[in-house]
Amino acid sequence: MDDLLPKLLAFPPHPPPSIPLTDTQYDEGIKSHISTVKGMADSKLLLRTSSGDGVLDLINPSINTVPYAFTLLAIITAVHKGNKNVDAKGNLWKNMSDFVSNLDPRQIRYLGAELGQITDTIVEYARSSNQIAAAVTPVTNSLLNYDPTGGMLTSRHLLLVKLSLNSRQFFDAVPVLDKPILYFPTQKTPKSKLLCNMSSSPSTYITTDNGFTKKLKYQEVLEYFLCRGMIYAGLRDWKKAFQSLEDAVSFPTKEGAVSKMMIDAYKKWILVGLLRDGKAPTLPKVTGNGAAKVYHVIAKPYESLAQIFETGTASRLKAEADVGTAIWQQDCNLGLVLHVLAAYQKTQIRNLANIYTKMSIQEVHSATTSAETGFKLPSVHATETLVRSMIADGSLHATVSSGSSSPSILTFLPPGTLLSEAVFQNQLAISTVQVKALTDEIKHTDHALTHEKDYVKWLQKQKKGKVINIDQGISGPDMDWQNDDEDLMATGY
Amino acid sequence: MAGSQNPPSSPSQSRGKKTLLVADPPKFDLESYIQNYKGRTRLERLLHIGVCSTFLGVDALKLAVKEAKRGKDVWRYTKAQGDLANIGPDEPEAHRDQAWMDMTEKQNTAETNRLLAELNGYKHNLIKESVRMANEDLGKHYHAMGDLPKAFEAFSRMRQDISVPKHIIDVSKHLIDVAVEQRNWIAVTSNVAKIKSTLTSSVADEEEKAILPYLQAAEALAYFDGGEYHSAAVAFLNTAAGMGSTAASVISPNDVAIYGGLCALATMDRNELQKKVLENSSFRTYLELEPQIRRAIAFFVNSRYTACLQILETYRADYLLDIYMQKHIDEIYYMVRSKSIVQYFIPFSCVTLDTMNQAFAPPGKNIDKELATMIQRGDLTARVNTIDRLLEAVPSNPRTELQRGALKVTDDYSREARRRIMHMNVNMADLEVKSTKSRGFGQGFGGSDDLYGEPVGRELRSRG
Repeated sequence: MDDLLPKLLAFPPHPPPSIPLTDTQYDEGIKSHISTVKGMADSKLLLRTSSGDGVLDLINPSINTVPYAFTLLAIITAVHKGNKNVDAKGNLWKNMSDFVSNLDPRQIRYLGAELGQITDTIVEYARSSNQIAAAVTPVTNSLLNYDPTGGMLTSRHLLLVKLSLNSRQFFDAVPVLDKPILYFPTQKTPKSKLLCNMSSSPSTYITTDNGFTKKLKYQEVLEYFLCRGMIYAGLRDWKKAFQSLEDAVSFPTKEGAVSKMMIDAYKKWILVGLLRDGKAPTLPKVTGNGAAKVYHVIAKPYESLAQIFETGTASRLKAEADVGTAIWQQDCNLGLVLHVLAAYQKTQIRNLANIYTKMSIQEVHSATTSAETGFKLPSVHATETLVRSMIADGSLHATVSSGSSSPSILTFLPPGTLLSEAVFQNQLAISTVQVKALTDEIKHTDHALTHEKDYVKWLQKQKKGKVINIDQGISGPDMDWQNDDEDLMATGY
Repeated sequence: MAGSQNPPSSPSQSRGKKTLLVADPPKFDLESYIQNYKGRTRLERLLHIGVCSTFLGVDALKLAVKEAKRGKDVWRYTKAQGDLANIGPDEPEAHRDQAWMDMTEKQNTAETNRLLAELNGYKHNLIKESVRMANEDLGKHYHAMGDLPKAFEAFSRMRQDISVPKHIIDVSKHLIDVAVEQRNWIAVTSNVAKIKSTLTSSVADEEEKAILPYLQAAEALAYFDGGEYHSAAVAFLNTAAGMGSTAASVISPNDVAIYGGLCALATMDRNELQKKVLENSSFRTYLELEPQIRRAIAFFVNSRYTACLQILETYRADYLLDIYMQKHIDEIYYMVRSKSIVQYFIPFSCVTLDTMNQAFAPPGKNIDKELATMIQRGDLTARVNTIDRLLEAVPSNPRTELQRGALKVTDDYSREARRRIMHMNVNMADLEVKSTKSRGFGQGFGGSDDLYGEPVGRELRSRG
């Protein structure tokens, strides 16, 4: 055992050489290291040192990710086989969660399949001990460490959102969910790029070939967006929920086909839009025409609810919501509808700021109605409580002052206090960084589009066969991609 | 009311529909007012005043009964007489003159038959000019009887036998008269256009030119009754001088001044009013007939809004008794009022509500509600402070707006860019939602293994 350790720790070189390894050297080094470690028998990896420590106790997963991963796998296999010499599950759980939260993002690029297997085992263990909530954080870490940019959607993302939804453990999944999805796994690995090149985008190392993810179907992509929206909705983060659902609603379609999941997303999207803005959202321009038509037909009850929310009275809204109870229940949207009802009066109060600068609570009370009951709130006091709660959660920009004898007075503050120059500069700087990063993504995608071998081949085939419409490859049938794309590039640089 | 061809079963029923009653005494003198008009519009106007005004009602209806008896329209007679019987049963005119009605109806039928027979005779003999004239006579006869659709039809038939441009003008003029009474504004404008093109194409003599004010007024009236106040204002203001009584069957010069002035007041800003109304030499001749309109506009231009509104208010009763104005007066007054309030508030950052009340609210009332409505409708950019009773200007802060704008732009841009990158990658990964039935297309993978995600587009389309 003691002679094994140096072999396991052979890569990366320790202490780090003064001149860092080039990408090519690194690539060669790690590949040969992996094949060495892989070649060792499981039994060797399970051996203990003279002092009784296991391999995992001795090596640091953030430096020696490769041997740690293989040792973990060896233990997992042993446990499966029922080998009694191996640690109890408690220790293994700790080791696995240590591993996924500490691993080295560069080395792990070579170990997609292994990481996938470990992640699966984590989920499996959590399931078998009826504590799926416990798996959310490790899976989140695993995804974050494997792809720090978070732009690639993998089949494990889907696993995470389902875990999170089932266990109602929403908050822990947010770090992964916050990353905008840009890429989807494809089969080919471009040969020119080395896996260890840290500047390359996740699409170079997360492929269907390396075992971490399988190829996704559009149903799975849509399901991810839908579930992500539901998780945000569960967290009452209407803005992000709205954007996620919008991703599903405006998903590209061909030949006017529409997925039922897009329709489900559309229904929720309307309700969440009401909660976010207090008015019915308008479909983004990129939405397919066919999809938009289907939405308007199937989601009619939702659209009329939204319209009443905007222009109707509280009692009508309440009546409409009551009439549609069966529909909301069937679509699992009853909770959101109740939220919408609760939001009605709040929106009314917020809109008062467009007319008044200062008014008594008494006036607020008589000017607004609750859509939860369809009547005015039972007392002025209840209105004051509502107003105070709105101010407290930041949804109303105002102050309430109450004298001992006189009635309370609500003063609306002018919208948005001026940011200090420093804060504003900072905000702008953040935006600049974001836009710059985006520019890289755009370059990358552009490159992929125009130089990717299979695309060129496909284009040639299309041209030869004169099959339908050449644009289909780049654009959905619903919009003129090319023009928009060019605009986007022009402003990006 | 005049245009309706299905008389209500009892005169009181039509009265019931009119909820509007004007109790205030109007400023005009009935006799001289009605002298401005001729033809059937006299009767229409008298009936209108009779039904709406409690002050002039009896007098107007008495005149109306007399007027009706001079004509051939039996239905209108019964209406005037019935209304009069309701409000002034003791008047001698309130008694139904059955003998006159029977006689007139008999005469009407005989006349209709005679004219139809004559027309058929001419048609038989193919005498074009006579056919045209017979149609004209028939149209006039129907018109006098109050059968507007048939009159319109008869006049339209004249068009087939036109031989000189003058005839085109005659036909269209008849049609305009009938169409105005029917409130058929589309026919009015199209016939106005026809006459105008005739006037420009043929070398029109002075006599024909004289019809111009009539045409312009009819067109303007069409805009006005359609609620397009700004177009109406422009059209009325462009009416050539010298209308005299040429348009008396439709509109009087006084009306041109009132309609034009009020529309302008409701839709134009102060500079425009000064330039296009007060300094407009051709419109001045009309405006002189109604000096109060001129005064109101002058007050508005000089920022004396209270005085302007006061004048309008004192004439409200008059305008409510006008057959066209009644429907629009509230809207127009609201527009003038809100414009005045907006203009009044412009130079201030803050005005007490009491001052606003003094300037605009009728005594004993306040305008808080009205201000709130105006702000909500976006007519007035201000905020109400009900505690300190102030109307405050909206503080504008360009710096904040700029900051918010800048951040929003970058936000939107990143979001849109990301979405497009994602969409491109969706396309590259061949992940678009596809219809399962079109397997032949592309590399199409079957989506049918997942029921939940099965595309529903086809299904829907086949459903309709």
